[in-house]
Amino acid sequence: MSNVNGKAYAMNVVTPMKPWKQYVLRFLFFLLRTFKPLQSKLINLSFIEFARWAIVPRDSFPRLSLAQEKEELSYDYLFFFSNFNGTWNQYIDAFSAVLSTELNLIWRLSEKFPGSVPVTPFKSYITHVQVDTDYYYNAYPNATANDVKAAVIVQDAVDELARKNASLSPQQFAEAYLAFVLQVQAHLGETGEPPVAC
Amino acid sequence: MANQNGVMYGLTIFSPIIDDDHVTPSHDLQLREYFASLPTGPESPFAQAPFTHLARLFVLDDVVFVGKPSKEEHLKSKYLIFESNFDGDLDTYLMGLVRYAPEHVDATWSHCVGYPGIADAAAFVRYMKACQLETTFYFAAVNSQTLTQTLKALQTQRLVAEFIASHQASKPAALQHAFAAFLMELRAQPLPRPGRATIERTLQTGGHNE
Amino acid sequence: MSKLNASDIQGFALRGYGMPLARYVFLQLGEPERARTLIGKLLPTVTTGQRWDQGKPRSTLNIAFSFRGLMQLDLPLATLVSFPVEFQEGMKARGGILGDTGANGSRHWNSVWHDGDKVHLWICIHALVPMEIESRYAELERLLEETGGATILQYQDAGSLVIDGMPTNKEHFGYTDGFGNPDYLGIERKSQPGQGKLMKDGSWAPLATGELLLGYADEAGELPVAPVPHLLAANGTFMVYRKLQQNVVAFREHLERWSAVYPGGKEKLASKFMGRWRDGTPVELSADRPDWSIVQDPERSTNFTYGDDLDGTKCPIGGHIRRANPRDTFGFNGALVNRRRITRRGLTYGSYVAEDQPVSDEERGIIFIVLNACISRQFEFIQQQWMEYGNDAHLGNDKDLITGNHGGAGKSVIQGDTTRENPPLICDKLTNFVELKGGDYFFLPSITALGMIAFGIVDPR
Repeated sequence: MSNVNGKAYAMNVVTPMKPWKQYVLRFLFFLLRTFKPLQSKLINLSFIEFARWAIVPRDSFPRLSLAQEKEELSYDYLFFFSNFNGTWNQYIDAFSAVLSTELNLIWRLSEKFPGSVPVTPFKSYITHVQVDTDYYYNAYPNATANDVKAAVIVQDAVDELARKNASLSPQQFAEAYLAFVLQVQAHLGETGEPPVAC
Repeated sequence: MANQNGVMYGLTIFSPIIDDDHVTPSHDLQLREYFASLPTGPESPFAQAPFTHLARLFVLDDVVFVGKPSKEEHLKSKYLIFESNFDGDLDTYLMGLVRYAPEHVDATWSHCVGYPGIADAAAFVRYMKACQLETTFYFAAVNSQTLTQTLKALQTQRLVAEFIASHQASKPAALQHAFAAFLMELRAQPLPRPGRATIERTLQTGGHNE
Repeated sequence: MSKLNASDIQGFALRGYGMPLARYVFLQLGEPERARTLIGKLLPTVTTGQRWDQGKPRSTLNIAFSFRGLMQLDLPLATLVSFPVEFQEGMKARGGILGDTGANGSRHWNSVWHDGDKVHLWICIHALVPMEIESRYAELERLLEETGGATILQYQDAGSLVIDGMPTNKEHFGYTDGFGNPDYLGIERKSQPGQGKLMKDGSWAPLATGELLLGYADEAGELPVAPVPHLLAANGTFMVYRKLQQNVVAFREHLERWSAVYPGGKEKLASKFMGRWRDGTPVELSADRPDWSIVQDPERSTNFTYGDDLDGTKCPIGGHIRRANPRDTFGFNGALVNRRRITRRGLTYGSYVAEDQPVSDEERGIIFIVLNACISRQFEFIQQQWMEYGNDAHLGNDKDLITGNHGGAGKSVIQGDTTRENPPLICDKLTNFVELKGGDYFFLPSITALGMIAFGIVDPR
């Protein structure tokens, strides 16, 4: 299935917006970037590796030659690209459960968006506006965002212990080692194959 | 700079696909066929070229008609969309693609309007930038690690877990000695290849076991 | 919301009967008209959810259908295809998703579950004494003889685990079970704090009825996806039946071996695996020793959250009950957990072996029964994402120590702190302490729906 590579899923969503709404949306993203409630919720949900929104105004589709016909569109288009961990259902369930306010702010500017709660009409809409990925590359397919975060913690902890090691007596080392284990004990999950998607 | 988040860069490229009725199969179908058989693991061109964490390619046939009262409209061209998440700066990344994955770059963008080829790398970079769209909001869960750092950290994590598990009853002096040896082993580990599963194992976790 | 009509809901869906004995009978339906006649004759004997104001009956009976069973009953095609995909496929076909591979794969299952898809009808008889089980069973056999509506493939006896002559709430590894069933709106039950969903002020409220019963609003603020017609689905629920064999020898040996390197001792280590001491004390409320007073106090025995224990130093992050019901562990005040709750109704099978006795070869384990409105969103999700995998808890691919399909590999980390009795410990090279021996997915219809099926008047609209 070409939308999936290892533990990551590549979702593409394209929705039309009336042209004047792009300015509202840009301002919204500015607020969300600056005041950080969306960022912190996304971070706490912790199953998105990378995600982006791109507003493509109707006259901004690249035109590289006069031979290429000029686009004549009446809507702007909002593109959403997500690289997330977990199944499609799990992802949308989670968004609907905890991010509905923010999602509604962003997507209610798109035509015919039904709202992110309740979840079934929301899933129907996404199914309708989702475009499949033809080719998906993942440099660390057996690791999720959580695995990478955990790995960074372990790497930093081991580097720190390595720095201290030389100057410690065995007893001091034993204490430092215990402190090290406590630092990493919640971050040692194995990486590997993802669960089979349903 | 909305395309950037920490060390990560979110590249969004929309390349119009050549529309030529005389070509069979059409350019967009050829692209799909090419992508269908392109390896996605360590043999991927994105594993040969540096810096790519996650990247995707797909053909956008048209925009979606969401139903009345919205208006129905259509794109005049199909677009090849390239979304990439890499670390570092854009020019270096694109040059890296040209240098390390030239056949792939050719095989992909030769189907697109205005592609200048890769003989002149600077021209190729200008071409890609002409097709680049600005990211409005870019989120990255981990934005401080290069690809190499990420792969190394994942390797370290696995080896550390194994070390801790196998030294649970060690006495202090022996433990310190073992740890020193472990550090040397860690440093000597070859850099993990991108796109590869972290360990080969006979038993898979989850997935098919039969 | 409207008041539940308990007389229309099968009793098994609304409450655990609290009877010490059960027999689960697996039947293959005969030709459709005879099968419908059988259902019609069984219908008056089915136990409903009505309260037992005159005391407990001597026995109860409930029935459920697999998808193949509904097909055999000749339900209209439009109705059949409206059933959820996972129910149509059946549990065996979902093995990849559930992690039922390797030692838990279907080729190791009891033949009644493994050969063909012959289990159409599930009947459960609960009773206070063995004589009542036999009497109800004999009645069933007589009905089958009379109608020719089905044949019995096999039955499975189960019950409360008897220890020293007394029925208990324990299972074969020595843990006390019977906690953790959720409260639902409108379903009368001895409610206690901690069973429902967490509210912003820290109190607990019942879950939406639609998390258990079809036809009622669920936690997502809509009616759960359900088969058509509405009358067939309403007041019904879906059931998961899994026969989980317990490898008591392996569990005891491993516990013994790991206890030797765990200064907290064997009982404490056992409590870390589960998240409860073997007497039922929740580790989150009493991490250092069991406390019978907490177990006996309904205000406390299920009333805890993990918000102050995100490091897992009291209850390990991968502890069994923490995996099964993470409560507030994932933040957002537990909102990500409310649609992943399940009701359990199972019992044990096989005889108990005391700690110091040699373990006989006899089969023993748990008949694991789950009731939920949506098998894929609830049971399958917990099994796939939280038991056989750990990413949501930041545990990567690590599986639940007690039930995981380890195959000799994998590990479980018990987080600790600097106190001598509570060190960190990694248990690795895990074996399968629990092995799946079969089961399937069933639909437990309302009394009305049973009537519609019996009289062949299911009309998909």
